[in-house]
Amino acid sequence: MGIKSITTLLLLGLAIFSLNPQAMAQSSDIAVVVSPDNPATNVSLGDLRKTFVGAKHSWPGGQAIKLITRGPGCPERVVLLKLLAMSESEYKQYWTAQVFRGEADAEPLTVPSVGMQKEAMRLFPGAVSLVNARDVKPGMKVIKVDGLLPGAAGYALR
Amino acid sequence: MPRGRIRTRFDRLLLALLLVSTFSWAQSAGPNSGDHDQETITQLVEQIKQLQQQDHDLEERIKNLEAKQPQASPASGADSSLPAPSPQVAEQTPPPPLPTAPPRDWHDVRGIKWRGFGEVDYQALDQRRPELGTYGFVPGSAANFYTGDFGLFLTSRLSNRTSVLSEIVFEERDAQRYDIDLRRMLLKYEYNDHLKMSFGRYQTSIGYYNWAFLSAAWLQTTADRPLIMEYSSNGGLLPTQAIGVSATGSILSGKLGLNYVAEYGSSDTKRPDINGDGLVNDENNGNQVNVGLYLRPDAVRGLQIGSSYYHDKISNLIQGPSLRYGQSIVNGYVVYVGHGIEFLNEGFLIRDAPLHSSDTLFNTPAFYSQFSKQIGHLRPFVRYQYVNASPNDSIYNDVGLRFGPSFGARYDLNDYIAFKAQLDHTVRRGEPDLNGLHLQLAFAF
Repeated sequence: MGIKSITTLLLLGLAIFSLNPQAMAQSSDIAVVVSPDNPATNVSLGDLRKTFVGAKHSWPGGQAIKLITRGPGCPERVVLLKLLAMSESEYKQYWTAQVFRGEADAEPLTVPSVGMQKEAMRLFPGAVSLVNARDVKPGMKVIKVDGLLPGAAGYALR
Repeated sequence: MPRGRIRTRFDRLLLALLLVSTFSWAQSAGPNSGDHDQETITQLVEQIKQLQQQDHDLEERIKNLEAKQPQASPASGADSSLPAPSPQVAEQTPPPPLPTAPPRDWHDVRGIKWRGFGEVDYQALDQRRPELGTYGFVPGSAANFYTGDFGLFLTSRLSNRTSVLSEIVFEERDAQRYDIDLRRMLLKYEYNDHLKMSFGRYQTSIGYYNWAFLSAAWLQTTADRPLIMEYSSNGGLLPTQAIGVSATGSILSGKLGLNYVAEYGSSDTKRPDINGDGLVNDENNGNQVNVGLYLRPDAVRGLQIGSSYYHDKISNLIQGPSLRYGQSIVNGYVVYVGHGIEFLNEGFLIRDAPLHSSDTLFNTPAFYSQFSKQIGHLRPFVRYQYVNASPNDSIYNDVGLRFGPSFGARYDLNDYIAFKAQLDHTVRRGEPDLNGLHLQLAFAF
């Protein structure tokens, strides 16, 4: 079997794997990342949930929270919906309602790539996002969830 | 690595993705898998778009790296306690900022965000003597179409802590005439999660419904508001709007999730009688105080338990401006919204006590209970409501005793359009029962 064939098979395998968001989520933990200047080092799962439903608007230091999310189908989105116990449709309707209620200025910012998540971390000092631990970039600070980092036994976001 | 080769590999990857997508889709096709398939296809298309975007990002990076290869520096900045990143990531030097255009909604830092909502209704009511028509419904007609409230909703962030919100509603009145109502206009200031203040015209936080369901019919499960929570300009009993200052926030209470709300403002409620006598009562309010507490315990997500107390001084101008009442409104509610279930229960006691005479004080109890369950796109609901105003109460004698159930269903055509069908049966003291059919197409944009 030539190198080309092996490469093609590997790519095919990768493609199959990436097409199943659940398998992807199980294969890698999802990290909670914030801006490097954010002093936060840990967040409880309860507070993380409150943050992503817009019930918490600011960090302990007073910095406004800016939610950055990935689009539907991404492993990060799958884990987010699991965290909030919502379907994709419920999530959209929930945020539209939050905006109409005046509880939020806008829906969470949805970006299409890890690169743009990183850019958002740079642009918004209060930004928080979920990123596949394998894709964490310089410029993203990973914070613990209930005292655990991605990869640790019992880590909640996977 | 030559760019052409990378490009070829990505082309292969995309081809492989398409092939596997087709295979997966074909494999999962079954007699009852239509919705699932649609969702899967949407997700696959989304992933392909993201891969294309990543492809584009990588090409840009390569372009930049090729241009700046001699100046490349080692990676830094990531939390060192992280699990080791994949070799691919570890070997990468930090790329320069990508020259990608910001997403469309990044303009929310500055500028105005517009949203809107609307509804188209059809209602039939078997009333023999016309009552008050609201939202464009013609009382006494066999049935008619109307457009209800059409609203424009604007928000703008002024700084990290201040923002502006306004809700301009075009409300259909008789003969397809539209009134403009600035339902909300708020300058908001958020110091932190414990203190969020608003200045301007707000929707009073008497109870849950008035907070959760604003002018947009799309927000509601049912086609209309419970009578007790109806806007006062449409004959509702409560002062639903006020101009003043409002503060809300969380109270340090651990997993109990205790929050407060405090409002001080002028309501100046003008309320038309709902029994069709054509009278309109300007309550000529004083300044109202409303305070409330509610719990959102961590242990039961979706549960909210709250109570509020409202006080104001009002007149009954039909009887004369000198007759003043102290009006107190006590509310308590238990609400559960989660796992597709919506269970709303609210009770009210409106107490009107004459201030300068020994006349009888009047208590008007009211409650509603509403249950619905999401089943796919469908949400069947049932609601029961009750209002009991004394026939001798000069303020709410047009309401009297009214109670009865409503049944129906909401069907979400997509995330922003809902169709609702509702049947109502209302028992009235001294009047024939009312039966109604209400169809509604509600949308948000």
